[in-house]
Amino acid sequence: MRALPSLTALLLLTGCDAAPKVVFADASIILPEDPIALPEGPGRQAVIENCTACHSPSTMLQQPKIPREKWEAQVKKMIELYKAPVDPKAVPQIIDYMMHAQSQPADVPRETPR
Amino acid sequence: MSEGRLTRRALIAGAGGAALAAPVLAQKLVDLALPGGPSLRPLEPQFPGKGEMIVQRLRPPLLETPMEVFAKGTITPNDRMFVRWNWEMPTSVNAAKHRVAVGGAVKAPVSLTLDEIASAGETVEIVAINQCAGNGRGLSEPRVTGTQWGNGAMGCAKWTGVRLKDVLAKAGIGQSAKRVRFAGLDVPMTDGAPQFIKSIPMDIAMRDDVLVAWGMNDEPLPLLHGFPLRIVVPGWFSTYWVKMLSTIEVLTGEDESHYVAETYRWPTVPVKPGDKDFSTVPITAMPPRSFITSHADGATVALGKPLTLEGIAMGGDAGLAKVDLVGAKDGGGREISCELGPDQGGPYALRRWSVTLPQVSDNLTEIGVRATNVNGIVQPETLVWNASGYARGVIERITLKAQ
Repeated sequence: MRALPSLTALLLLTGCDAAPKVVFADASIILPEDPIALPEGPGRQAVIENCTACHSPSTMLQQPKIPREKWEAQVKKMIELYKAPVDPKAVPQIIDYMMHAQSQPADVPRETPR
Repeated sequence: MSEGRLTRRALIAGAGGAALAAPVLAQKLVDLALPGGPSLRPLEPQFPGKGEMIVQRLRPPLLETPMEVFAKGTITPNDRMFVRWNWEMPTSVNAAKHRVAVGGAVKAPVSLTLDEIASAGETVEIVAINQCAGNGRGLSEPRVTGTQWGNGAMGCAKWTGVRLKDVLAKAGIGQSAKRVRFAGLDVPMTDGAPQFIKSIPMDIAMRDDVLVAWGMNDEPLPLLHGFPLRIVVPGWFSTYWVKMLSTIEVLTGEDESHYVAETYRWPTVPVKPGDKDFSTVPITAMPPRSFITSHADGATVALGKPLTLEGIAMGGDAGLAKVDLVGAKDGGGREISCELGPDQGGPYALRRWSVTLPQVSDNLTEIGVRATNVNGIVQPETLVWNASGYARGVIERITLKAQ
């Protein structure tokens, strides 16, 4: 029986016409940390406690300006669809923060200590 | 066009109230020219195995390819291919322990090792463009929410693998099979949230060029691109190209899961912001697209001299037929045929084009290129706006100043 698998492999290699034999090795990487932290603003703590587990600060600061109702809908979507464990009392503060962040001049690099 | 205008700005660290003095961070930035902004994106931090990329999001990673990568050749190197994950990605995979479960409406469910997948059939290579359904979303006007991509959520690679249909044959496709659904190792971070699973109709699944792939440009798939296996559906947006493949499930009916039934869909009729109650269909096949890569928007060209423009084009879900240089929308319909580069990769690959103007006599205002595919689909003059910013295919325009 032992000869059979290797014979099969040999036939496959011939049939593959010089295709490189695939060898699967273990793979691992380390992802980088976000170099940007959230700038000061009303509701910052609520955002840190409820949002940053999934959303890196740099991403939040890159969103286009949208009205308050749209931010409310976004937060609702995170809670209802994506089951984000957001404290209901924190929702207005989160929206306050996003509105504040977007009221800052666009494209001013946001600085922050790590 | 969002050819990068690079700036280097020193970020002054140490906001008021910081307890410790922090180092000054210098961030290299790129301007994606997103209407209304914010438009600057960092080119850092560097990700493992990647060269310079536009960092749209850290976790889960969203990395965009800078447009200058497309200025030469037709293959996007692995270290410059865009990266897109919906949920947190695993950062390590044990190859020996990895299994792909093939189940659902099959004759006999199986759990396959990587070697069993690789030997499921003939090894197939195909060159194909991998493009996010939301590529160019950030350029939508009016703006829409979602990842604010410029036009760099695309790339073209050679994919190596076995046919999906050969893998399905290991389990045997059951009667009344309608769709094939894929899941990967990336799972939601919250209980009850929808897993990123996607399905394709049976006729697509049985195509000779739809693969379970392990190779990308003759290298093993990098983890960021879905090691050890990903689905490849040439001509279709990459939302179906499920990464870190771990489950293949044959369905006997429609797919009611979130990422098929509720998102990654677009309207069947023209819509404007605020419209509701229109029918939608899944976003699937790619439209033709083309880009000028030799010159950035706003670049200066020599007055009175000949000018050669170059770029890339794709046919989408069919081969490229032609590329035309077109004048401004209200410019009286002036068009010049471009010369296509060699067809090196087949119908689903990027292809180069070039055109030489005998003499530049004035500024070239709002010029663009327009691709047509072999099915006669032509890039439109105006954006087919939709609230999710999917399937951007509008003619991309730039202005060149003659002096």
